[in-house]
Amino acid sequence: MKISRRNLIKLSATTGLTAFTASAFSPLVGIVNVAQAKPFKKSKVKPFNFAVIGDAHLYEMPDHRFDKTLERAVSDVIKMRPKPDFVVFIGDLANFGKKKELLKGKRILDKLTKAGIPYKMIPGEHDWYLDLGKAWKELFGSPFWSFNHNGVHFIGLNSILVEDYWTARDLTPWERMLAIAELECHICGLWGVGEKQLQWLEEDVKNLSPDTPVVIFTHSPLWNYYPRWNFQTKDADAIRQILSKFEKVIAIHGHVHQVVYNKTGNMVHIGNLATSWPWPYPPVELPYPEIVMNRADPGDIYDGVGFATTYIDDTFLGLFKYKEWADLIPEHLKNGISL
Amino acid sequence: MIKRKYLLTGILSLAITTTVFIKSSTGKPPISEEDLKLMNEELINLIKKGDQLWHSEKLGTNGLTCANCHPDAANSNPHTFPKFQENVGKVATLREMINWCIQIPLEGKTLPEDSEEMKALEAYSIYMYRGFKLKPGDNSKAYPPVKVKEGPGYP
Repeated sequence: MKISRRNLIKLSATTGLTAFTASAFSPLVGIVNVAQAKPFKKSKVKPFNFAVIGDAHLYEMPDHRFDKTLERAVSDVIKMRPKPDFVVFIGDLANFGKKKELLKGKRILDKLTKAGIPYKMIPGEHDWYLDLGKAWKELFGSPFWSFNHNGVHFIGLNSILVEDYWTARDLTPWERMLAIAELECHICGLWGVGEKQLQWLEEDVKNLSPDTPVVIFTHSPLWNYYPRWNFQTKDADAIRQILSKFEKVIAIHGHVHQVVYNKTGNMVHIGNLATSWPWPYPPVELPYPEIVMNRADPGDIYDGVGFATTYIDDTFLGLFKYKEWADLIPEHLKNGISL
Repeated sequence: MIKRKYLLTGILSLAITTTVFIKSSTGKPPISEEDLKLMNEELINLIKKGDQLWHSEKLGTNGLTCANCHPDAANSNPHTFPKFQENVGKVATLREMINWCIQIPLEGKTLPEDSEEMKALEAYSIYMYRGFKLKPGDNSKAYPPVKVKEGPGYP
């Protein structure tokens, strides 16, 4: 069929070309489109923003430098215009899983709620291994969940579950915590979400149609980056398999404290900055070496750290923007990374 | 007859010279396997002590450790020292840089540069970069350390 102007208008109305035209004038123009994600055929998403904060690693001691950086991220999110619809905290609120550390974090994050911005939480290993998640669950509820927002299905999973390394070694809860608090813990083993959450996930997405836009949050990446530092999730293959029926899935993770990007099948993956400190890049090749952060000045507590905002447009294209305070993000990534 | 006498003397002196030469060129006898093992054990003990200190919050006052920013000693780049360090404003040695990290990010008290603790931290950092080419002065990039398959990264 020859496409006349008239036909084009007709087509626009029925196939979502209007959405495409609209997005051509959206903030997504001119950004690094590594994903080359194709826009959804029919628009079912009402555009919105959300923010991601994580890896705060709060210590019990008062007026700690990491209190200041988390406070700054929260305050920046509150000042965002348009206001984000919600915030996801992506794990490691505490450093040693102490209730006092978690409570301090909750006090800071509750400022979001007071400003009318709800937040959701998933745990990291630093929140968990002092009491195996008891205090965290008391304060924040279930460590895995899903909800729908403006046509997008959001999922959060607890990806830091390891097999018991403490009983046979007769470790106290404190020793168990100290061991896994080291990134290069060599007795802790690889972590994952486990059978129970896999079954829950399968059930959760069972009735969703393949054109449902899905965003998934985990503390650790859902691809095999550097297992030595648990830059991985043991059952990521199974998760990716369950989610493979969808046209597109956006996966956002913490734990790596750095700018990192990857793409697997129908999924785009992006790592969030920490508000505490940056991790170095591990001794492996990056899948997208152009998506990296600049070196940080270790003498500046606001360098090497930050948070992120994500704009989701009506075709389920995401624009992920790293927010930082000390020229950490290279010029070509400053306008955001498309997801 | 005389000729034969000279010949014998010549051979004898050549033999003596050769023996003396060989002895003086090799110096002491080679280090025995047993001694090498003991020496290596001493080194590994120092590295192990360095690993413990690297992961100890006792070096600072704010709970942070060297390993916060340098897991497996990553980005400590020991093979690039001495080099100009912007943060200390001069050409610095690895030990000076370690002390800067203790003083600023860890908010701790510097170690005497010839102390056992300092030697241990240095030994751990260098061992995790074993096999790397020396590149004194190299400020161009951060180098990840050797890839560790299992355990602490040393025997």
